[in-house]
Amino acid sequence: MNQAPNAHPPTLNVESSADATTSNVKHRTSNILWRILDFVIGGIFIYAGALKGLDPVQFASDIDNYKILPWPISVALAFYLPWLEIFCALGLMFRFLYRGALSILTTLIVVFTLATIAAKVRGLDITCGCFGHASQHWSFASHLATNLTILAALFALGFSNRLRKPS
Amino acid sequence: MKTPIFAFTLSMIMCLGARAELKWEQTTVELHPAPNDKQAIGHFKYQNTGKTPVHFKSVHASCGCTTAQTQKEEVPPGDKGEITATFNIGDRTGTQIKTVTVETDEATNQKTVLTLKAEIPQQLEVTPNFVFWKQGDKPDSKTINIKVGKDFTVKHIKVTSSTPDFQAKVEDAGSGQFKIDVKPQDTNKVVASMLTIQPEDSQKVFYATARITNVPTAPVAPAGQKPPVAPAAPTAPARPTAPTGQTH
Amino acid sequence: MKFLLARQAAVLAAVALLPAAGEAIYFRNNISWRSAIAPSEMVTLEQARAWGDAAIWVDARPDDEFARDHVPGALSLNEDRWNELLPQFLAVWSPGKKMVVYCSSLSCNASREVARRLRKEAQLSDVFVLEGGWEAWLKKNK
Repeated sequence: MNQAPNAHPPTLNVESSADATTSNVKHRTSNILWRILDFVIGGIFIYAGALKGLDPVQFASDIDNYKILPWPISVALAFYLPWLEIFCALGLMFRFLYRGALSILTTLIVVFTLATIAAKVRGLDITCGCFGHASQHWSFASHLATNLTILAALFALGFSNRLRKPS
Repeated sequence: MKTPIFAFTLSMIMCLGARAELKWEQTTVELHPAPNDKQAIGHFKYQNTGKTPVHFKSVHASCGCTTAQTQKEEVPPGDKGEITATFNIGDRTGTQIKTVTVETDEATNQKTVLTLKAEIPQQLEVTPNFVFWKQGDKPDSKTINIKVGKDFTVKHIKVTSSTPDFQAKVEDAGSGQFKIDVKPQDTNKVVASMLTIQPEDSQKVFYATARITNVPTAPVAPAGQKPPVAPAAPTAPARPTAPTGQTH
Repeated sequence: MKFLLARQAAVLAAVALLPAAGEAIYFRNNISWRSAIAPSEMVTLEQARAWGDAAIWVDARPDDEFARDHVPGALSLNEDRWNELLPQFLAVWSPGKKMVVYCSSLSCNASREVARRLRKEAQLSDVFVLEGGWEAWLKKNK
């Protein structure tokens, strides 16, 4: 006989489900944007890794130019780093071992940026950056700007990951 | 995630604090010497933007062919100056990169590497510049390819042999290329000749060597025996180096 | 969470080792792990001496250094007077000889440049750069 209480719940249900739909759409949009960023950054690292991996002899020589590491280590890194970059980039793009991939790529960029700054401070003429010999004509400023942009994107992805629902 | 942030911030601080006192206008100079130049000179200008004088501890070049001069040993604050790097080209060709390492008593930037990049223009490229036949080989002709450098135009070249033992014929291969066919009279005698290649209207001459060599003997020739060398190619015969017998 | 991250990173680091090792094997002849010059172009002092008379020693240093001291029997061939010295060198060369080019210390570029020009311009094979250069020879002979 109490019809009034029954009338309430349906209205409430309609409202809350509308809210849920809106926030779902918002979530999916931001999810898509983050995924796009995953692919963009991943793509950059695959490109950079491939460029260096195709000519490890030249890359070893480029690492040696920084005069930070002994030659045998430069050779080892010349073979190893491109593959590390590629696998981590794939992890980023296809969401496997995501956190590990993100932290490795971040570490690589930071170390690389520090090395570039150190070289500049020491007055060494470095003709290449993360893009191997292809970036040899870039200035120090553009190298630094590129590195910092990628770093910022990686940080953003890292922090966003915590807020995202596990998919 | 904490460590990368820390390292990043540290590097930013380092970057700001690492401003060197001696500021270089450029640390790489590209030169394009003319074909007959004997030297290529690079000027590396600097200015002391710090508050204390800077002293040059050492300035030295990567090779003996380059010398570097500072105008002064001490640079007072605000002063400008330059380091002049003189690269003696010699008979070098193509892209030459030479460096000069400068050491100062600055607090944060003790070593600076100045790079001199010089493009040496070459009128003719002679490949190979050495043709030979072994004694007893068939006296077939061998080809020397001449390629004209991209900034040059050569319509005609003249080739002469220093001895009549070899004959040289020039053929225009078009698009800045020539072919020289070299043919020995016979391969019976051990002889050598210098081929002089001269582009028309040019003072510069290029050389190639043609030789009939003796047939190589057993791997270790007995001491003292060396192939006779024709008078056209003067040189001191190499004395054999004994592999053992060197005492401390 | 931290362990998950470390584990993931470790897996990636390990997986990348495999193709890296593969590439290192594939390129083993193009790169020397000991020094920055291709291995097939270099020769140690012991190997060069073992060649005995089959070796021609080529001094790539400037004239004044050569005049002061050089490997006995070595020929001077430097880039300062290349056009003049090359024909003299070619007159002494004969087929089957192995050329050992040296200059002062491993990091000097002159011997590599002279060796490169002998291979490219005169199209000679068996041109080698002496590992350790003039200093290595001095150590063994003085």
